[in-house]
Amino acid sequence: MIEVQGLRVVLPPATVALYSVDLVIHPGEFVMIIGRSGAGKTTFLRSINRLVEPTAGTVRVAGRAVTGADPAELRQARRQIGMIFQQFNLVRRASVLENVLAGRLGYVPPLPSLVGHFPVRDRAVARECLAQVGLSEFADRRADTLSGGEQQRVAIARALAQAPSVILGDEPTASLDPQLTGSIMGILRRINQERRLTLVVSQHQLETALEFGTRIIGFRAGRVRFDGPPARVTPAVVEAIYGDGGDGGGDGESGAQ
Amino acid sequence: MKTRRAALLALGAAALLWIAWDTDADPVRFLRGVPWMLDFIRRMMPPDLAVLPAALAGALKTFEIALLGTTAAAAIAVPLGLLSARNVAPPSLYYPVRAGLNFFRSIDTLVYALLFVAAVGLGPFPGILAVVAYTTTSLAKLYSETIEGIDPGPVDAITATGATRLQVLRFGVLPQVLPLFLSYILYRLETNIRAATVLGFVGAGGIGFYLQTYLRMIDYPAASTVLLVTVLMVMAVDYASARLRARLV
Repeated sequence: MIEVQGLRVVLPPATVALYSVDLVIHPGEFVMIIGRSGAGKTTFLRSINRLVEPTAGTVRVAGRAVTGADPAELRQARRQIGMIFQQFNLVRRASVLENVLAGRLGYVPPLPSLVGHFPVRDRAVARECLAQVGLSEFADRRADTLSGGEQQRVAIARALAQAPSVILGDEPTASLDPQLTGSIMGILRRINQERRLTLVVSQHQLETALEFGTRIIGFRAGRVRFDGPPARVTPAVVEAIYGDGGDGGGDGESGAQ
Repeated sequence: MKTRRAALLALGAAALLWIAWDTDADPVRFLRGVPWMLDFIRRMMPPDLAVLPAALAGALKTFEIALLGTTAAAAIAVPLGLLSARNVAPPSLYYPVRAGLNFFRSIDTLVYALLFVAAVGLGPFPGILAVVAYTTTSLAKLYSETIEGIDPGPVDAITATGATRLQVLRFGVLPQVLPLFLSYILYRLETNIRAATVLGFVGAGGIGFYLQTYLRMIDYPAASTVLLVTVLMVMAVDYASARLRARLV
């Protein structure tokens, strides 16, 4: 589903965020990305839909080239990759439904959308996605009147509205309390199991990552340090990813997150 | 450190004293002028209400100049504001556009009015052009600073959906900046009404023309009516605009 080869990212002015990452993520996997702050988790996720421009290497998602794509091809590739964020990134002044409708922007005719017109079919998709996260009754509320957990559910609905084959999550629970963390991760697991969607989610809480992931990828200083099922994450692995010893975890600390 | 601060303070005070001498700023001379000013005000009383229709017509013209000029400038400034915003425009456009705006913004509305009166003749039209010229550059600067200050999060999120560049502007940027833009436009409208009251002095139409005419004719009661109308109009617009702006942000 996601094929990454030789991915190298240098963030301006000269911070190497990722050295050379090779990964293949298969359809239906629920991948949890773990690692310390600055290990390259965010940069890796943002390289997959080119919110960050890779310096070298290739990324393919669902058979489409993301790297090297021209603007139109990139938009085609992006619309099948949903993304959710730590700060939810909703348009605060817009209504909940308008936020979810934004997930249809890659599909609707561009010109009418600029004056706020969306086809009936796409509105129906948006409402259906909102229902899936249990927020139908909030459709007309302003996004910033919702609680953090509710806002993240709106963001998930927006990602689902893209009818994606992959959803990327950049620390989606880091600004939520533990109880909401479980509820958001539960929604993601349901999406993964019911829709067979591929999920790649970074998670700063190890226990949560091990509980929900079908596969764990540990980054350290811009390199993949561990890749395997949760059962194989031994104390030694945890030490290798998070510990102070070893290869000088300070590499790539700045700017990568 | 302390002595250095004292030295700087003394130096500053000395410079200001020299400037007062250089510009003939003389408090005694001002005090000697006070009786003349009182006399001037006394001769303005009572206001001559016979010229009220003319003053109101002039005030309306001034309002029209400010409104049309501000509205046109608000629209023209949008593309310029985008092009001079660091996080939207490429550097090849950003630097020249910003330099151009800085150059033209250093010229005041009244100077533009002189230029446009020379170019298109007397009347409200050169006044409108002057308001457009100054307001466009000042709004473009405010727009670009607003755009540079937006939360990049929603822009990322909209970009990630596969939206086009225009859709990203419409759905990720516009909702964040629109209330502030409207607030700046209203504020510019307020200041433009004040600025437009003197445009008549250089022949660019509006209430200033009447004020200058009556002052030249030494018809102080008539001039005072015009002044009163000007003050009331500016106050009314300030009040209305402040209330509207309070509802926006």
